[in-house]
Amino acid sequence: MNKRTAMFLGALFLAAAPLPAHHSFGAEYDANQPITLTGVITKIDWMNPHSYFYLDITDDKGKIENWKFEGYPPNVLYRTGFKRDVTIKQGDKITVFAWRARDGTNWAHARQITLRDGKKLYFGPPAGTGDGGARPPVDTQ
Amino acid sequence: MRVLILTLLGGALVAGLAAQNTTSIQATQKRAAAKSTIPHAPNGKPDLTGVWQANSTQPGSWEEANAGNGVGGTGANPNAPVAPSSTDRQSSQGAPYQPEAAKKVLESYNNRNIDDPTARCLPAGIPRLHSLGLFPMQIVQTPTQIVMLYEYTNVFRVIPLNAKHPDDIVPTYMGDSVGRWEGDTLVVDMTGFNDRTWLAGAGTFHTEALHITERYKRVSKDRIDYEAAMDDPNVFTKPWIYKSSMMLREGTHLQEYICAEDNRDVQEYEKLLKEGVKFQR
Repeated sequence: MNKRTAMFLGALFLAAAPLPAHHSFGAEYDANQPITLTGVITKIDWMNPHSYFYLDITDDKGKIENWKFEGYPPNVLYRTGFKRDVTIKQGDKITVFAWRARDGTNWAHARQITLRDGKKLYFGPPAGTGDGGARPPVDTQ
Repeated sequence: MRVLILTLLGGALVAGLAAQNTTSIQATQKRAAAKSTIPHAPNGKPDLTGVWQANSTQPGSWEEANAGNGVGGTGANPNAPVAPSSTDRQSSQGAPYQPEAAKKVLESYNNRNIDDPTARCLPAGIPRLHSLGLFPMQIVQTPTQIVMLYEYTNVFRVIPLNAKHPDDIVPTYMGDSVGRWEGDTLVVDMTGFNDRTWLAGAGTFHTEALHITERYKRVSKDRIDYEAAMDDPNVFTKPWIYKSSMMLREGTHLQEYICAEDNRDVQEYEKLLKEGVKFQR
């Protein structure tokens, strides 16, 4: 792909992508720390402005640790295909793709979850959402 | 023989003209058909009534238009680059802030928007509410007023038509709106803002002197072209024009969004600052 094509596709993407509103991703989470984990749901908070689910994750030595994952509020989850108390429930085993919190605790920002039947759904927005993007809104010299 | 030739030539000319007329009529019919797909109110004005998704160009239902993106996403790859958000830069040209004001905008950007009013569950304001696609908005049009309902931060605007702003406006987050029709374009004049919203992008603050002129033009059944001209002589060097599109989302209904229910963000920001976790740019 040459530079002009890349720029055109980039512009096309910017024109077509819906723009989410969200609190700063980058203050709390690190886009350079993606993580994929599989575990069993221990709790789900369908809450505003963000929903959370918690997973018990067992490591190679059998040690279990509980992790917290943040994502969309209930109204957005409804539109991304979630039905409360149906799509995911306490006790379900799921896989989640997420980015870790900057403070290094067992906490991450969920993007996509994979259900036991292989179905994939978005639980949260992409990395960087709400933290201002790649360029400031004003020109800098 | 001459009569025959003339007759034939005449016939060809008539046929040619007829063909030209047919093409012209077809074009006119096409234009009329395209226009007729735009619903009109009984008073002849375009009817903007409906549920809309801002900052999208994709036609179809919410599910159809957002399936590939996962709503606000970047596509099938969850590890794909950052998607633009309502705090991202909105155009190739920077917002026309005066130098001192631009420094303040940059400060918010460098702090990754921890001072974003919406992080405190305050209303997102205008035109920011027209720069985000994650939450739909609804327009209800009557001959005398137009009501706009926004799912994000659950705010609304009641816009009287052909009215004047009140003399005793108290500054508010959503300001005071009055509308009028200029041909097929709805023009909304906004004033009476407080200084506690961001306009469109990280740190894009303003003062109570803000004045906005919005234009809504329904260009097809599926789409409204939206424009907001923002003027604030205290912070800008010239009016800032923001353009976006709004796409009809039939079958979508607005839902509740009570941000203050469980807002942990500010508390988390304070904790990170206290613990010295580096997150500034």
